[in-house]
Amino acid sequence: MKKNETISNLQIRNLLITTVIGVGILALPNQMVTILDNDGWIPIILGGLLVIPFAVMLDRVYKLYPDKNIYQIGREVYGKLIFNIFMIIILMYFVIQDAYVARIFAEVVKAYLLETTPTEIIIITILLVSAYLARCEIQVLGRVATLVYIILITLVGFLVLISLPDADPTNMLPVFNADFKKLPSAITGALFSYAGYEVVFIAYSSSDDKNNILKYIIRGLLVVIGIYLIVFVITLSLFGIDQIKRELWPTIAIANEVDLPGYFLENLEGIVLALWVVVVYSTLGPLLFAASRIFLNIFTTKSHDFIVLLLIPIIYVISILPVNVVEVYEKLGKVLNYFIAVSIIGIPAILFIGALVKKRRSKA
Amino acid sequence: MVDKISKDIKENVEKFKNTFKDADDLVYRNIKIGKKNKKEAYLIFIDGMVDKSVISDYAIEVLFDEMEIDESNLDSYKTSLSEKISEESIAVHDVKEEDSYDKLVDMILVGETVLLIDGSDKALILSTRGWPTRGVQEPQTETVVRGPRDGFVETLRFNTALLRRHIRDPKLKIKTLQVGRRSKTDVAVVYIEDIANDKIVEEVINRINKIDIDYLPGSSALEALIEDSYLSLFPQLENTERPDSAAASLLEGRVVIIVDNTPFVLMVPATIGTLFQSTEDYYSRWPIGTLVRFVRILSAILTAVSPALYIAFTAYHPGLIPTAFTLYLAASRVNVPFPAVIEAFLMEITIEILRESGTRIAGPIGTTIGIVGGIIIGQAAVEAGIVSPLKIIITAITTISFFAIPSYEWASSLRIIRFAFMFLAAVLGLYGLMLGIAILIVHLAKLESFTVPFSAPYSGLGLKEGDLKDTLVKAPIQKLKRRPQFTFPKDKTRMK
Repeated sequence: MKKNETISNLQIRNLLITTVIGVGILALPNQMVTILDNDGWIPIILGGLLVIPFAVMLDRVYKLYPDKNIYQIGREVYGKLIFNIFMIIILMYFVIQDAYVARIFAEVVKAYLLETTPTEIIIITILLVSAYLARCEIQVLGRVATLVYIILITLVGFLVLISLPDADPTNMLPVFNADFKKLPSAITGALFSYAGYEVVFIAYSSSDDKNNILKYIIRGLLVVIGIYLIVFVITLSLFGIDQIKRELWPTIAIANEVDLPGYFLENLEGIVLALWVVVVYSTLGPLLFAASRIFLNIFTTKSHDFIVLLLIPIIYVISILPVNVVEVYEKLGKVLNYFIAVSIIGIPAILFIGALVKKRRSKA
Repeated sequence: MVDKISKDIKENVEKFKNTFKDADDLVYRNIKIGKKNKKEAYLIFIDGMVDKSVISDYAIEVLFDEMEIDESNLDSYKTSLSEKISEESIAVHDVKEEDSYDKLVDMILVGETVLLIDGSDKALILSTRGWPTRGVQEPQTETVVRGPRDGFVETLRFNTALLRRHIRDPKLKIKTLQVGRRSKTDVAVVYIEDIANDKIVEEVINRINKIDIDYLPGSSALEALIEDSYLSLFPQLENTERPDSAAASLLEGRVVIIVDNTPFVLMVPATIGTLFQSTEDYYSRWPIGTLVRFVRILSAILTAVSPALYIAFTAYHPGLIPTAFTLYLAASRVNVPFPAVIEAFLMEITIEILRESGTRIAGPIGTTIGIVGGIIIGQAAVEAGIVSPLKIIITAITTISFFAIPSYEWASSLRIIRFAFMFLAAVLGLYGLMLGIAILIVHLAKLESFTVPFSAPYSGLGLKEGDLKDTLVKAPIQKLKRRPQFTFPKDKTRMK
């Protein structure tokens, strides 16, 4: 009996959410507050909304070429050579993104859970475990994403619940008081937190109901915006801008700051971090999967699970290049920023315009 | 070329005697049919597999007394001798004519009686099955407070009858297949035609037909032979001893497989959701049903992770537990000579040994082992300072939680997983444990049970349609209007 190779739109939505939400959420309040003070929520919303038109473009491209995947479409529109160059750029982006996530993750785990364990061990273990996920087929990724989504929602709900008693909403004020000349750079920074939604490019062609998929993608992005906003509001109302600026990862500090009535668990950050391991894992896995899939299509090899193992050492080496956390954010982060601009905005736009022109021409 | 029996009765009997050479439970009863004509005949059956009173009262006696054979008459009626006998002078409820020799041998083996008549090229098969059976009793493994007390037995026919008693629907289909070159075990595939998805039914029948084995020891062997990934720790089929729960699963669109000689029937497909269901849920009110579902899920988590958490917190992250508790923990472990890891493994292995010895020892002595084990572990180990009291509590929680999970196989897999988790926690603390959980999640997501994802409904299938209403919680019966989606049922509504 033929195996069911499709994945439901709900699973694609969850895949999008769990892939996008990873390490970005930890530093996001800090980055936004540093640029825009109390109005950091504005770029979070705008950055998320900015992604939506490009998701719509992508959907249009797929509608123009039904029953084809992104590689076939790209090759038809731009020819094999040019499109392969695009694909190599995206492949590099996924690899660097994976390395970046793994490194930040290792730094966080080292800081809060395993003080004495070398960073390298943490990176290797999480990469190997992610490889196990990345070697699976797309429907398994969809199922894992749905399972992790449940954990993610529990985690966010838990954060909201524990912070409610100590939250001080007046910390949010004043609104609309910041220097709005800095808004563009803030939005660029916020866009960084939406990286990873490109996995939908690859999942799209496996959807079992392509007519309604756009609705789910947009909903997924809205959920991500919502979660980011919730976290931002919680951290801001707990800490105020001055303290947030001092915390590198304010989101984890939430759990440290609050005291649960009854003092059952004193340092909740351990618990939050432990659950967050699974969330990061579901970011690394799909990114690795996407990278291997693209590799597979550029070099037309047969199965993607071998490629995953090939990519692991490359990702590992990139991830240990920066000396410390600051360098990770400054160097790797900067390189990634260019890639993200190309990948989130560039590729859908280029494909969309190309496809449109091509269709017009063939009609005429 | 079918091996047919001949007209000569002596030759036929010799053939049977050759086939069943050295089988002393075979009975060859030679009789002369009729008062006048004295035609020679043989009844062949296996002693112990047949209902002897049926043979003596309704076959032999009748043939002796009432049969008046007139051979000249027979020819003019154009009927064969065997047909006449079967129509007029045998008082057994089911009689068939058969001329294939192999078929006759098979029939003798299942407990039918073969009647050979001199001069006839066809033999008669008299339905006389009757062997020692266990009556319908209350199942030992799945007891309920408020529900029917009947359980499946070893005889396949009784079991199908028990199912029919629950579902009086002509659409209830029972397909019998044979598995085992030597054992020729009957396997019945039961489903409701207009609910169960054809693909699943077809897949089940295909997989059973593919089996080529000499002896099928029971439903657990069949389970291993037809499940999707036999290397996995987790059961991908569900079993039950209760007709009511098998009937309920039929109405969910699942397929029930009954194997002869086993009171445990299989239900496919199985998912995480169904493995947490218990028959008791459907006989209690919904709030209690919901509460116990939560308790079971919690127990499953505790069984798998609590010893690992103990290791992680004591060895790696004492800072993550409240200070007062940390101090208490440190104080209680002052005399313990082993690191937490050794201590945990020691206790968990001891409890495994205790559990194993408990199952070997019969009833009353078994409880003694429980008491002795409890005292030794509880009192002596702590007093001797080998383990800390907290570890005893953790072990007790792990063990109790195990029994709160309705499916024994599912619970056993979690029990094994816990050792892997303990190892990971010993190496990398909480982070190691979470890595283990991440791997487990992927493994569960990869598993499929007859093309249905094992991780349903939590992994997406049926989530939108409301499958959680009867898996995570037990919604009031009025709210369960639709059948669960994971079986892709043809008829989706249960109630209007």
